Amino acid sequence: MNNKLINPTRASEIVRNSIAKRRAKDNRLKLYGRIAIGFAVCFLIFLFSSIFIKGYPGFFQYYVTLDINFDRERIDPQGDLSDNSLFNGEASKIVNEALFTIIDPKGRKAKKQAKKMVSSGKDVRLTNLVKSNPNLFGTISSVKFALDDDIDSFLRGYIKRETPESERRISDQIIKFVDKLDKEGRISYEFSDYILNGSASGNPEMAGIKGAFFGSILTLSVCLLIAFPLGVATAVYLEEVAKKNKITELIEVNINNLAAVPSVVFGIMGLAIFISIFGMPRSIPLVGGMVLALMTLPTIIISSRAAIRAVPPSVRDAAYGIGASKLQVIFHHVIPLAMPGMLTGTIIGMAQALGETAPLLMIGMVAFIVDVPNSVMDPGTVLPVQIFMWADFAERMFIQKTSAAIIILLGFLISMNAFAIYLRKKLERRW
Amino acid sequence: MINEENDFRKLDLTVGDVFSKDARLKARNVNVFYGNNKAIDNVTIDIGNKEVISFIGPSGCGKSTFLRCFNRMNDTIDTCRVEGKITLEDENIYDRKIDVVPLRARIGMVFQKPNPFPKSIYDNVAYGPRIHGLCENKDHLDGIVEQSLKRAGLWEEVNDRLLSAGTGLSGGQQQRLCIARAIAVSPEVILMDEPCSALDPIATAKIEELIHELGNEYSIVIVTHSMQQAARVSKRTAYFHLGKLIEVGKTKNIFTRPKHSQTEAYISGKIG
Repeated sequence: MNNKLINPTRASEIVRNSIAKRRAKDNRLKLYGRIAIGFAVCFLIFLFSSIFIKGYPGFFQYYVTLDINFDRERIDPQGDLSDNSLFNGEASKIVNEALFTIIDPKGRKAKKQAKKMVSSGKDVRLTNLVKSNPNLFGTISSVKFALDDDIDSFLRGYIKRETPESERRISDQIIKFVDKLDKEGRISYEFSDYILNGSASGNPEMAGIKGAFFGSILTLSVCLLIAFPLGVATAVYLEEVAKKNKITELIEVNINNLAAVPSVVFGIMGLAIFISIFGMPRSIPLVGGMVLALMTLPTIIISSRAAIRAVPPSVRDAAYGIGASKLQVIFHHVIPLAMPGMLTGTIIGMAQALGETAPLLMIGMVAFIVDVPNSVMDPGTVLPVQIFMWADFAERMFIQKTSAAIIILLGFLISMNAFAIYLRKKLERRW
Repeated sequence: MINEENDFRKLDLTVGDVFSKDARLKARNVNVFYGNNKAIDNVTIDIGNKEVISFIGPSGCGKSTFLRCFNRMNDTIDTCRVEGKITLEDENIYDRKIDVVPLRARIGMVFQKPNPFPKSIYDNVAYGPRIHGLCENKDHLDGIVEQSLKRAGLWEEVNDRLLSAGTGLSGGQQQRLCIARAIAVSPEVILMDEPCSALDPIATAKIEELIHELGNEYSIVIVTHSMQQAARVSKRTAYFHLGKLIEVGKTKNIFTRPKHSQTEAYISGKIG
């Protein structure tokens, strides 16, 4: 029996009998796969919807409309619209007066409380307004001012009226004022002009991501400008020029290991080398970009090498066969054909760099910086660090702003990737 | 018949007319190693001027390896080492002073698998003249491209779509495009490494016809698996076996009256 071939009829019968079992196995595999993907999609939907639902209100905030008397002499005492003149003016006082005419506070204590109702950025807002439009002088126009974050939280219902006054962040007096403003239709819920145009601020109603956004752009530009050429050049050298020997093998192993090094280590290295040894300033996007470049280099090198290896050798043969020099083969054939793959690696590296916080904390990009960085030498911060900082603050309004900033970060990431995919598709035009 | 050459050692095996009166390429005692593996063992042969010579032999006999010695394509393989001497017009191409770039411009190559660049037909042909700076202006380049495509017998088929992809052509057309690409830099010798092995009989016939015509202007070395093809296109034939050059002679003689028993065994189908 053992050493005999089974007869064909019997063989086909056995096969037929086993079919049902095999099919079942196939289907079970398919089912498991679908369940796994289903889970993943559910989590993704949950994640995105929760971020969106939480972050969406962060783009809006409560404003109060006040009738401002644009008295030139009080706002702009020197009459030349210079910063100095506007600073010496009484913008703040004018806004307070406009508020007082509506809510009519009695006594010093009530007035003091009432002054805090409008965000402390009111004077800057007013002076910016007259600077951009001097025609306002001499008129009485209604202007919207952001309300203080506690009032904002109260209007959103996070601070409850029923809570005893001693445990509430705002007093009964202020609630009365807010009710009065609301009755007059002065309070509105609108798209926040601070979230996109503001920078880091201790006042949550004025905090925005502009500084961090530009910090991110500058840092990533530095990172890209360093990591991409260096990474591609390294990959080309290792794949096309260097002889395969022990040294290149060692380099290869080390590059692969570097890709797995925790990012905070790069931060410590940046701190030790760029800041301590070379004496570069802290908190600047240049150092941040260099640290992130070191971190993304291994990713770019590894994917670029894979892309170069995937270029068919026949193309190289053809080019060498016709008398192209090594440089010509590399630049005319290998790099153009490998470019889509190289870009993919770069996108992955950049996406990593965009979301990186830990190494930047090490080099001091966590500092509280109000100004928008204008160059890579200006101190700045980046989006994920900004999110990290906001998440740490106690004020209720920062929670929404944090989620809003996360949405912006994700949007930034998605648009960056979309651009890179578009670029890749364009370059990928295979013949 | 081989004693007139004083710069080479005794040949233990090769029989037939190794030398040619009007030689363009001369290979003397060439050994090729892959690591420690000897792939070509002491081969000496002349390639004549405007001669079509075919290298035949069973798979793995080293004929392609030897072909690639002529334009130093073996340089691209790290482990490969070539000993001996190959001269092109009395210049040793393995001399340290020789640059492979001009050498490969003089000795063109067509590969086994058609390998046009992933570019347009025009750019494929124009690539060589461009990198070597052979063209003075656009018109001149257009002329070179047209002439090369005409010689490769492809002009009629592609002149209306020069800017479409070279890889979009059929296999036979692609191979002729590769030939046109090689011709465009005006080489003296064209090496062909089994140019028809990936092609159907009709495309093969076209290429063979083309080789026949080109043989009037260039020296052509063609490696082939098909003895019929060798018989059809070449004047001389060299038979390789296990890295050794066994016999060289007029194609007619090789196929009708082989002198060496191994040659006879191969052409009668006993080896290979």
